[in-house]
Amino acid sequence: MIEHAIKLALRNFMRHKNSFFINLSGLSTGLACTLLIFLWVRDELRVDKIFENDDRLFQVMEHQDYSDGILTTNSTPGPLGMSLEEEIPEIELAATYLYPASYNLQVGEEKLRAVGTYAGKNYFKIFDYPLMTGSAVDILAGANNIAISETLAGSLFGSVEEAMGQSIEYEGSDIYSVSGVFKDLPSNSTQQFDFLLPYEPFYQENIEWMSNWESNFPNTAIRLKKGAQAAVVNGKIKDFIKGKAENSRVSLFLQSYSGRYLYGRYQNGKQVGGRIEYVWLFSLIALFILLIACINFMNLSTARASRRAKEVGVKKTIGAGKKALVIQFLSESIILSFLSLLIAVGLAGLALPQFNLITAKEIELHFDPGMIGVLVAISLITGIIAGSYPAFYLSSFRPISVLKGTLRSSMGELWVRRGLVVFQFALSFILIVAVVIVYKQIQFIQDQGPGYDKEQLVYFNRDGRLEEQSTAFFTKAKTMDGVQNISSIGHNLVGQQNNTRGVEWDGKDPEMTLLFENVRINYDLLETIGVEFKEGRSFSRSFGRDSSAVIFNEKAVEIMGMKDPIGQRVRIHGEEKEIIGVVKDFHFQSFRQEINPLFFQLSPENSWFMMASLEKGKEKKGLENLKSLYEEFNPGFAFDFEFLDEQYARQYAAEQRVASLSRYFAGFAILISCLGLFGLSVFTAERRKKEIGIRKVLGASVTQILSLLTKEFAQIVLWSILIGFPIAYVLSKNWLDRFVYRIDLAIWFFVLTAVLMILIAVVTVSSQAFQAARVDPKKYLRSE
Amino acid sequence: MIQTKELSKVYRTDEVETTALNKVDIQIKEGEFVSIMGPSGCGKSTLLNILGLIDSPSSGSYQFLDTEVANFSERQRSKLRKQNIGFIFQSFNLIDELTVFENVELPLIYNQVSSSDRKKRVEETLEKMNMMHRAKHFPQQLSGGQQQRVAVARAIINDPKLILADEPTGNLDTSNGNDVMKTLVALNEAGATIVMVTHSQFCAEFGDRIIRLLDGQVVTENLLKKQKQML
Repeated sequence: MIEHAIKLALRNFMRHKNSFFINLSGLSTGLACTLLIFLWVRDELRVDKIFENDDRLFQVMEHQDYSDGILTTNSTPGPLGMSLEEEIPEIELAATYLYPASYNLQVGEEKLRAVGTYAGKNYFKIFDYPLMTGSAVDILAGANNIAISETLAGSLFGSVEEAMGQSIEYEGSDIYSVSGVFKDLPSNSTQQFDFLLPYEPFYQENIEWMSNWESNFPNTAIRLKKGAQAAVVNGKIKDFIKGKAENSRVSLFLQSYSGRYLYGRYQNGKQVGGRIEYVWLFSLIALFILLIACINFMNLSTARASRRAKEVGVKKTIGAGKKALVIQFLSESIILSFLSLLIAVGLAGLALPQFNLITAKEIELHFDPGMIGVLVAISLITGIIAGSYPAFYLSSFRPISVLKGTLRSSMGELWVRRGLVVFQFALSFILIVAVVIVYKQIQFIQDQGPGYDKEQLVYFNRDGRLEEQSTAFFTKAKTMDGVQNISSIGHNLVGQQNNTRGVEWDGKDPEMTLLFENVRINYDLLETIGVEFKEGRSFSRSFGRDSSAVIFNEKAVEIMGMKDPIGQRVRIHGEEKEIIGVVKDFHFQSFRQEINPLFFQLSPENSWFMMASLEKGKEKKGLENLKSLYEEFNPGFAFDFEFLDEQYARQYAAEQRVASLSRYFAGFAILISCLGLFGLSVFTAERRKKEIGIRKVLGASVTQILSLLTKEFAQIVLWSILIGFPIAYVLSKNWLDRFVYRIDLAIWFFVLTAVLMILIAVVTVSSQAFQAARVDPKKYLRSE
Repeated sequence: MIQTKELSKVYRTDEVETTALNKVDIQIKEGEFVSIMGPSGCGKSTLLNILGLIDSPSSGSYQFLDTEVANFSERQRSKLRKQNIGFIFQSFNLIDELTVFENVELPLIYNQVSSSDRKKRVEETLEKMNMMHRAKHFPQQLSGGQQQRVAVARAIINDPKLILADEPTGNLDTSNGNDVMKTLVALNEAGATIVMVTHSQFCAEFGDRIIRLLDGQVVTENLLKKQKQML
């Protein structure tokens, strides 16, 4: 029976090459998209799930309670890890680690920059990254130990074996000795670094501020004892910090270490999703695309039903049961689906490099048993979904009406078929609207800009001799070709990086707690980045007392409720400061957030980054000059710079990825839908040839017939727009609502998409309609 | 073998009610060769379809092999049909995607005959119909007469007790038509019961008797002298 079904399926493919080709290309494109999305989703779900004790690894998180809401962060006080390990019995191990940054390393004459940070001695016990030499127990135990990656060992010493025990000079001063080499970190690890230094000695050196329970800096990860309940520990650590510092407004909680990647977004102390939303979104898109491809199959199969009807009638007369026929038609669609799978795997393989580029992943196609199982399951399900309706529809033909030739498509089926196409195009419409809106919002963010000139701004570390001789550096740099202005700043102005609630002003509600972003800058910084002033002035050397001056943003002044801020006094960390200027609000955080209060203080010694603005059109020259000047000051240091707008764009990397991915997938969805529409138009044109013949005999012109045929399809598309519109509207609004600063959901996005869709549909069907309209009437009238 | 009492078939659409068969009583014994005649639209094919268990009557009784089948479900009819009845159509109704061999094989597949057995029986039957040399051809590569021979082969492959033929010669020229009639007579002589619908008086007279229908009713039944010697 099955053999017979397979044979018949293959012969049918050969005989009806057109619909076979349409189905095959539609299904294989659909399956290729699904396969890519599956790979991506699987990769996302596996991020950080690389440690043996994954279920016992947790990140210690903070909820910080302020007047304007709860801020959730993974920054914790410096001594937290050590204290937790001592005081909470359920906690087996704790490791503190800092945010990695780029540093200068030197071995003999060999100098390079590498990304590294400080990490507690238990780090490798908690995170069991494979070690090539050295042991997890003592790799970070000695004060002068350094653990380096396989690659770093290779570039500094030639090989892993050579590296052990060798000395490395760090930032031109401290000497560390290699205590172990770890394998390069896998790409699905969220922590990425080339080397680690021991945290405890760093803590001791900076104990004055590191031991402060009210300041938050490093991250803390813990491993629970076997059998310990996270909920129990959560209860114990909730007020842990309040027990150490009376005034603290922090409560602690544990988040699964591997879970924090997908569930990283908090709103006012509540977990509100994160990347997991994109996992769902793309899974849904994959399902939709596959459904669209399946619908093509259903439509073409049922549309061609009259051709298959005789076969069904004869077989039933001879004694075929409904089951046998269902099996036959289902095997046809399943075979097609597996053929498509073969092509899809090839297509996905070809698309993978580009896909990896867009998604910033390193996904590979491996055919392990699990993967093959999934592929087979997807194809089987696709085959069954695609084949189900045609199978039951065709097999339910009554042989008597087939053989008598009275089989006619009932209105019901026609509606089902139209309904399926409407569904397809509604999905395509929603996808296209989504793409347009995501694109417009990203463009809005880029165009709008943060409120200062981010384009020509470049920043780099103020390290080596620049720490002492920055003024000399500035003087020289300012005269250089291509360099417009230069100054220094405490941090790069992207994201909340250094905040404080230590701002006091007259009339402040004593209960009020608010975070102010605290930006330490040098003279000329505000001029360099081009922040606009609302009133007052910038820091200036001509005023001797500017070290006790402060500049706020509009938002801060508004919150403090000051009418005439200039000249008024505030206390920052108890120190009296005079307000000398107010700058217009600019975005130092993402557009998702309301602009927060901010102030600038003059503090050249704490401005660890050089920030230069380059002359437009001479960026390259300016950079080269800065590089040679930097190397003149810091011989042997690698000049490592970054453009501020790149850093700025990185805040929206996820959105941008989603934007470009959805652009591709929407394209495929509409392509597959059009394939189906085309197939249907071929069929309709053929079915209506006699009708067209009669109409032509009665005097209809080609144009009239053309519009008759296209109108039918245009109506289908119109319906799908009507159905898709509210859904697309709600979805886009939901997405845009995440941004405090966003585009208006203008009606023209929808109108434009609608017009585009109708145009695409008309173009798709017009070739067939045109052919049908030009038929020679007598030829088709005679045939019946 | 076949006995109907007040067998009626009414087709209903939204507005019109058409009576295709109106209280038909007929009786056909095992081994008989019965021809059914009548003008277009008199209900011949409807009757044949009901007798062949492809269609069910609106009312009345139909006993097939001493079983009342008038109210059988599609599944029950299908089972009875595939074991006992062979069909021959005017338009042959061969499946275009299958070869001659595979077309003839089809009823055996649905009756779950083993593959080796199927091969033997198909070959025998094709041999008998003198179509073995065309076994690998597709229907559209054959002449009308050849196609009908394949259709006959398919109808008899299961050794059905009853063979129903709906204008088997309608699409054939005289010589091919005669060939088909010869085959039917031979099958009848070998023991098969045959019911044939035809427009042709000549063909009808190969039967043992002729049932004439008009407007869904049996008008006459005449016994015939055998005409076989004419062939």
